Amino acid sequence: MIKLIFAVLLSWLLGASIYAATPREIIAKALLIEDSEEQAKLVTSLGDSDPQEVIALLTLWKEGGIFLNVDAAGAKVPVTLDEEKDGEGKQLAHRFDTGAAVGKLLASDLNAAETDSALRLAMKSVLDMAQLSSPDAKKRQEAVETMGSEQDPERLPALLARQTRETDSRVKRAIREAIALIQLKDENDAVKIAACNELGAIRSIPSQDALKAIVAEATAESKTNLANAAQLALNEIAKHVTFVNTAGTAFRGLSLGSILLVVAIGLAITFGLMGVINMAHGEMIAIGAYTTYVVQCVFGPGLELSPFGIHIALPGMNATGTLYNCYFVLALPLSFLTAALAGIALERGIIRFLYRRPLESLLATWGVSLVLQQLFRLTFGANNVQVSSPSWLSGNWTVNDVLFGWNRVFVIVFAVAIVFGVTMLLKKTPLGLLIRAVMQNRQMAACMGVRTERVNMLTFALGSGLAGLAGAFISQIGNVGPSLGQLYIVDCFMTVVVGGVGNLIGTVISALGIGMLDQSLQQILGNPVLGKILVLLGIILFLQWKPAGLFVTKSRSLEN
Amino acid sequence: MFQSLKKSILAAGIATVAVLSVQAQDTVKVGILHSLSGTMAISETSLRDVLLFTFDEINAKGGVAGKKIEPVVVDGASNWPLFAEKAKQLLEQDKCAVVFGCWTSVSRKSVLPVFEKNNGLLFYPVQYEGEEESKNVFYTAEAVNQQATPSIDYLLAQGKKKFYLLGSDYVYPQTTNLVLLEYLLSKGVPIENIGGGFKKDESGKVISAGKYTPFGHTDYQQIIAEIKQFSAGGKACVVSTLNGDTNVPFFKEYAAAGLTAEKCPVVSFSISEDEFRALPAKQLVGQLGCWTYFQSIKSPANKAFVDNFQGWLKQTTVDGVKKEGRVTCSPMVLSYDGVYLWKAAVEKAGSFEVDKVREALQSGLSFNGPGGKVTSQKNMHLTKNVFIGETKADGQFKILKQYDGVFGEPWLKGTFKPKVATK
Amino acid sequence: MKSNRNKIELIIVAIAAVILIVLLPALNAAGVVSNFTMSVWGKYLCYAILAISVDLLWGYTGLLSLGQSLFFALGGYMMGMHLMRMIGDLGQYKKPIPDFLVFLGWEQLPAFWVPFSSLVFSMLMVIALPAIVATGFGYLAFRSRIKGVYFSILTQALTYGAALMFFRNDMLLGGNNGFTDFKFLLGADVRAAGTQRGLFIATAIVLIAVYGFCRWLTTTKFGLVQRAVRDSETRVLFSGYAAANYKLFVFVICAIIAGVAGALYVPQVGIINPSEMQTDKSLEIIVWVAVGGRGTLLGPVVGAVVINALKSWATRAYPDLWLLMLGGLFILVVLFMPKGIVGLPAQIRGLLKRKQTPSALATDTAAATP
Repeated sequence: MIKLIFAVLLSWLLGASIYAATPREIIAKALLIEDSEEQAKLVTSLGDSDPQEVIALLTLWKEGGIFLNVDAAGAKVPVTLDEEKDGEGKQLAHRFDTGAAVGKLLASDLNAAETDSALRLAMKSVLDMAQLSSPDAKKRQEAVETMGSEQDPERLPALLARQTRETDSRVKRAIREAIALIQLKDENDAVKIAACNELGAIRSIPSQDALKAIVAEATAESKTNLANAAQLALNEIAKHVTFVNTAGTAFRGLSLGSILLVVAIGLAITFGLMGVINMAHGEMIAIGAYTTYVVQCVFGPGLELSPFGIHIALPGMNATGTLYNCYFVLALPLSFLTAALAGIALERGIIRFLYRRPLESLLATWGVSLVLQQLFRLTFGANNVQVSSPSWLSGNWTVNDVLFGWNRVFVIVFAVAIVFGVTMLLKKTPLGLLIRAVMQNRQMAACMGVRTERVNMLTFALGSGLAGLAGAFISQIGNVGPSLGQLYIVDCFMTVVVGGVGNLIGTVISALGIGMLDQSLQQILGNPVLGKILVLLGIILFLQWKPAGLFVTKSRSLEN
Repeated sequence: MFQSLKKSILAAGIATVAVLSVQAQDTVKVGILHSLSGTMAISETSLRDVLLFTFDEINAKGGVAGKKIEPVVVDGASNWPLFAEKAKQLLEQDKCAVVFGCWTSVSRKSVLPVFEKNNGLLFYPVQYEGEEESKNVFYTAEAVNQQATPSIDYLLAQGKKKFYLLGSDYVYPQTTNLVLLEYLLSKGVPIENIGGGFKKDESGKVISAGKYTPFGHTDYQQIIAEIKQFSAGGKACVVSTLNGDTNVPFFKEYAAAGLTAEKCPVVSFSISEDEFRALPAKQLVGQLGCWTYFQSIKSPANKAFVDNFQGWLKQTTVDGVKKEGRVTCSPMVLSYDGVYLWKAAVEKAGSFEVDKVREALQSGLSFNGPGGKVTSQKNMHLTKNVFIGETKADGQFKILKQYDGVFGEPWLKGTFKPKVATK
Repeated sequence: MKSNRNKIELIIVAIAAVILIVLLPALNAAGVVSNFTMSVWGKYLCYAILAISVDLLWGYTGLLSLGQSLFFALGGYMMGMHLMRMIGDLGQYKKPIPDFLVFLGWEQLPAFWVPFSSLVFSMLMVIALPAIVATGFGYLAFRSRIKGVYFSILTQALTYGAALMFFRNDMLLGGNNGFTDFKFLLGADVRAAGTQRGLFIATAIVLIAVYGFCRWLTTTKFGLVQRAVRDSETRVLFSGYAAANYKLFVFVICAIIAGVAGALYVPQVGIINPSEMQTDKSLEIIVWVAVGGRGTLLGPVVGAVVINALKSWATRAYPDLWLLMLGGLFILVVLFMPKGIVGLPAQIRGLLKRKQTPSALATDTAAATP
């Protein structure tokens, strides 16, 4: 508060009559100051202005929508740009303070007004207050949560006032939590005890640190009642944390299992059904991921590549907003297609000569994998490339403190869809019938007039295409680089082998099982490496018990 | 049969033995020992490029002590015994006057005996754990006190109270985190406010601090959930020594869980501008980095360096140099500084002999590099400026704080004593 | 024809033995052959021993193991532990225990490190540890009749798991950095030219001995059963042989050979760390064998030397292209040279003959298929 008064006084002394200044004028002034602490003071003084305008302007600044233009006299003038671009990509600029048109400018020539962390903290504090009356419940909730964690008694009246008007149940809960947290700082022990009870009742995870501090403090001052109340609340919360962790682990296991399933299902077809040990499966995944990258670049700024000294330039569409967010929808089928085409090339070029020599298909495809990795490196560079998620894949739902990431939910749905699609394809279509016939008895199928060569090619293309699809997805959660495939190949083989070769259901169960086991062990041991080692050990022992995996395809043949 | 066998063996023999090239009088051979293939190529290729650029720049101005630099580029292929073999080759076969190279600690450890035996000189440019001092290695690299401890100072000044330590499972993160643990305790941060877990020996002494994930780890869900709970009460931050590759899944998961730099910033010691290109920059605005150089430094020396390097990239004909979207970063600049320091040392010593060059280096030479003035120290490390920066949406860092002339100190473990609890 | 070929092979081996054990070291001592060449060839010879062990498993018994790099590394680690003890207090910290232990806060040597001060014990462990691991794993795997691709993938899992374990600092085996900076062996400076020469001679002798042993083994009745298992395990079972025991025996022998190769390798290259036991390495060894020619004993040696010489050269001459070369070469060998380099003359003869009599085609491809 003292700070605020000081800031007000300061700016008044500087000659700006604060009561008359609109938020726009204050911000325009702050924009031109070099020292970020001074800027922060000015921003803090915005607290009493119209919240909606403050939010709009500060957000614009924070997100780089305000530029500093240097005018003819060499003075800096803050400007904003219109959406519309003319033929040269220039946009009409307006002075930030007056709104007067300045002329047409190129965005790339301008420097955006920057913000640093001190300034952003000040902005956040002002924004939080303003956000309390935001029409967006999510924003209100965030603002309340921050106020709670700061435990600043100054905020209590605002929160109490909001509490009576609030309608959204989540925000209501957040307000209760924040009020109780602030009350922990109260002078009166009775209020503190009530606050502890309240926090225990709503099982507030963020309050654990504050409660622990209370326990320590109360014990030191031998205030048993308070210490007990805080301890009771902590116990309640600990129970809740156990629940959150268990539920979270289950969800994370499910999502990891789905990822394993998505990356392994292509292999379940090429290896499981066809018996080809495709060590280049990982690189098929990488092809899918790189395809996604290329599609993203075409939707965005375009792409320039120069493999082997050949210069390739792909023009970009410079799409933004919804259109840009749609790139992933197009990337999915394209990554399937490119990987499927690569699969056809691989099958026609190499694998078809090796159907009777499975171990050698392992060796030849390993060679292919080395070549492909180096080709990625030469084409896209040795570095990882940047693939950013569309906005509908980056975010989360939090239900009762358990986190459900949208990308994770998406992969689960995606996995279900793929399994369903592949099962339908195999069971209900003529191609599926042919595939099953050829895989069960090649000679017999050939005798019946099935063009086994063509079926082989299509099956392999399907398997590779599915790997490509997996790659498109992997690009959303992991890194896209030349050795991307190597990260997944061992896991893929494990999943298929544990599930039992030639059986999609087996792969599904084993993927989910391994995912769950991995996440549970990680949670219990608190150590990702140990968890992974134990999973591998488990797999080795499991295969002693069931050498052919979970589901064995019954056959009368002695040798395979 | 006999004939063909003999021939193939012979051919192989010739291939390895006959690598003599014509050595002109007015050149000096300088080795470049980086991984250009395998897992480490991702980081090291850039260093090869910047070294070749530096050599061209120096040669264009007349070379080192009147001799043109003749680069001998070899590929360590991310294979540590091969690094040792290549080092031997550079020193024993090619008689390189100096070698610039290595990235990982293990590659440096594997070539170290070779350099000591042949009394060679290696310039090592990448931030490392310290706990080592060899008279045959000049560490232009950031020591722990030129990266980790200044970041902690900064975070403490920002009012952070809780620190979550996270790293890849190898010696650099392990050492850094142990030093940081001691440092945090010495600053009065209580041990329960340090997250990631501890491992203690029978006597209760902490032997490992922080959470570790293996190389190539892809699933950070669990750890993010832990961080989310850790930071729920506010005033928390993450100190990350994750290795380049694993940063991508970590940060993607971090962003997806709704964590932001405002709620719980991450300070990373392995993400420079080069690595940052693979990360979703827009979701990560405000994350912290700490290096002795950022591309965004505004100085004439840096502007010249960046412009000249970009110009060189455009016209170079070297195989495998990627020309598009290149940035400069701290390990690159430290390689660049290293070459110029070596040049200065050679010219001061008036000789290419390692002993004399070392003596010149130890006497304290200065070079005004892109990151400001660097000065060589007696312990074969560098005094340099340390910068704290935060990431921007365009993949560059905005510099928040600068510490001038920080002395490079490799021996830090055990030097910070915990503050006795005041209560 | 066959005995003729054997004779030629024997002559080659004899000449090679003389060159490797006597001539090269002598030339090196005289200063004609450089120390660098010796060290590189010493490494190749270790790889050659390792390659023979893979071939005995794959070429002769039909077991494509991706775990040989694990046994190689285990042998190396055992030797490395002894070398670490021999550093004494000359490490960075000047303490009587290895640096990384000081770093992890150890004041005294952990109990399992103590016996490695003895070279004899370490050498015993070089043989014993791979043998124990191989027996345990092999017993389980062969008992439940895991074969073919499953065996490959299972050995891959074993190797991967072991590598993850060795990467951990808590193993007290140096973590990711492993062991390096060796100083002494048997009191001599391990980096000195004379010591390296001695190690080279030892490696050459072991190589010839392993070659001789395997040659003998494959000509005995045991060798016959071994090949029968490769060609049709079921028939071997029906004939009343306990195929599992035969396989287990070969698996253990090969693990020991790989371990010995690793123990010789470590003092020569000066480093051992978990990256040696990654599955990539196992696959690489298999490449050597396939390129050299599997099912022969000379083939793996030729393959190991040729590929590694190529690697040494290409990583310098064409660093960007060498993976393309290796991968491409490998695809070509699998597709067009199923018998590898050693089988090339026979293959060419076959091709020439086929031109004259097209009927030879059938028998030739049949021979190429295992």
